[in-house]
Amino acid sequence: MLSELINPYYLQVATFILLNIILGVSIYITLGTGQLSLGHAGFMSIGAYTSAILTLNYNVPLVIGIIIAAVFTGFIGVLIGFPALRLQGVYLAIATLGFGEVIRVLFINWEGLTNGAIGIRGIPHLGREILSFSESLGFSPGMIGLKNNQFVSLAVFLVLLIISIGVIWFFIRQSNSRIGRAFASIKMDEEASEAMGINITYYKILAFGQGALLAGFAGALYAHLTAYISPSDFGYHRAVEILIFAIFGGSEVIWGPIFGAIFLSTMPEFLRVISEYRFMIYGALLVLMMAFRPQGLIDTNVVNWIKRPRLKKKEGKHGTGNKKDK
Amino acid sequence: MLIEQLINGLTLGSIYVVVALGYTLVFGVLNIVNMGHGEIFMFGAFMGVIVTNSLGLPLYVAFLVAIIVTGILGYFLERFALRPLRGKEGVSHLAPLISTIGVSIFLENAAHHFFGAGNQPFRTSFSELNITIGSTTVYYVQILIFVIAILLMFGLTFWLSKTKAGKALRASAENLAVASLLGVNTKRVITQTVIIASAMGGIAGILVGIAFNSVNPQMGLSFGLKGLAIIILGGLGNVRGAMAGGLILGLSETFLVAYGNSGYRDAIAFIAIIVILIVRPQGLFGTSTSKSKG
Repeated sequence: MLSELINPYYLQVATFILLNIILGVSIYITLGTGQLSLGHAGFMSIGAYTSAILTLNYNVPLVIGIIIAAVFTGFIGVLIGFPALRLQGVYLAIATLGFGEVIRVLFINWEGLTNGAIGIRGIPHLGREILSFSESLGFSPGMIGLKNNQFVSLAVFLVLLIISIGVIWFFIRQSNSRIGRAFASIKMDEEASEAMGINITYYKILAFGQGALLAGFAGALYAHLTAYISPSDFGYHRAVEILIFAIFGGSEVIWGPIFGAIFLSTMPEFLRVISEYRFMIYGALLVLMMAFRPQGLIDTNVVNWIKRPRLKKKEGKHGTGNKKDK
Repeated sequence: MLIEQLINGLTLGSIYVVVALGYTLVFGVLNIVNMGHGEIFMFGAFMGVIVTNSLGLPLYVAFLVAIIVTGILGYFLERFALRPLRGKEGVSHLAPLISTIGVSIFLENAAHHFFGAGNQPFRTSFSELNITIGSTTVYYVQILIFVIAILLMFGLTFWLSKTKAGKALRASAENLAVASLLGVNTKRVITQTVIIASAMGGIAGILVGIAFNSVNPQMGLSFGLKGLAIIILGGLGNVRGAMAGGLILGLSETFLVAYGNSGYRDAIAFIAIIVILIVRPQGLFGTSTSKSKG
């Protein structure tokens, strides 16, 4: 019965939506301090290549490879964060765009390590690793009436779901903490926050590093989900796609990029026309959003409006995670 | 060999200069980096291919068509992506950047649909004609590109410094509100600037098409990004800086390809801007630091 309900294709789509959510959150963190980064595709590729090379060439276990990749990308993000501090607005956007391009050109030319423009094949697949792990424990998908590919897709989806919920939960907690309030204050007015005694250098680099870490983490997951990566997967279009999740959904609250990622990744599945003209629609969307709703579809007002009736029921308790259905 | 490389570098550099001037004009007046410029430039190149290859008309018609089409695209860009954001309360300074990124994505994919994703050859009747002086070969095409670029640079400099419209433009660049108070029709100046910048992009597109004999929808991105790098190198909004930056980039790319590792050719521009932004954020020729907030 379970086997009839599980369609590997839908699960795969859902898995990539979850991946996009993580990417959306990663740009939201950086935008949260008023820094516009177009280098997230570059960070993503660093994560993807690090994990792919570690697991393929050095037989590092997959989980450790992903963790090392994320931490390493976060470290690069901090390194980039220092010079980025000197830049603002447009300058930062172009410099990070340049950073992404330099990384891409580097990966194309560093053939000994990255296999150049052809890309890396045969990266250990997350789902198959889970399958072989569970088989080594004496469990086979047949025991719960599933085919192997169904089990693989289901396992990958569940793992990604747990990871994304963890990530979202962490950053919601963070936004209600000292750090989150410092981020919000820096975004509002940098000079005023500095006068209030907020260490701008520390928090801006923290935000940049966190964004990079998360993008690298998503990149590593991407490498192990598709089992194939090439430098062209992480170009300018990817950077814009990540940015548009946050711009369309909204970058004021964390639900904005999450909604943006879900909506923009789901639409092409329902309307084939959309998938053909996807980037044209993205482009038009960016222009329209800036003209009519620059803060994105979901802002604090929308969140408050959605929360209000539920707050009454709970007698004014502070709930945070009421919008799972969005 | 050296002289040939020098000529190649100057040709490439002067194309870069024309691309970069389009960015610099818009930035000078509006303080906006027009990310859609690269794609407008690419449309100009495609107009050239269509007019000369598909319709078989002479090259000067291609220039006229490209100027008209890219001018119209520039008007639309200003009308739909920039004007709605101007003077609106609470719009972040990044909004125009994002909306012009939107325009660039839209145009690039529109070109995919209209013209196909592949490379289109751009042949002109004199592509292969050349003269040999001593041991150096110079193609007529290179001379044409160089002459057009120089004409555009001088034309622009003259227009900016001597004509009334140019003065109005510089006044608006200095201070939009004051210029408007003094009777400059700033709305018209802005539209005019974006149209002129776009038309220059169209001309640059044809020049690139002739020089490389290939036109594709992705070229807008690569040349656009380099144009951005050049204006940062030379100082945003600085016409002379854009000229110097373009020539420096063209020469250094050519010499890297000739004497070094050609694979890293596309990275020079970005490494240069990352270094320049850290060391001298106002650019090589920039003087004012008050503008560096972008």
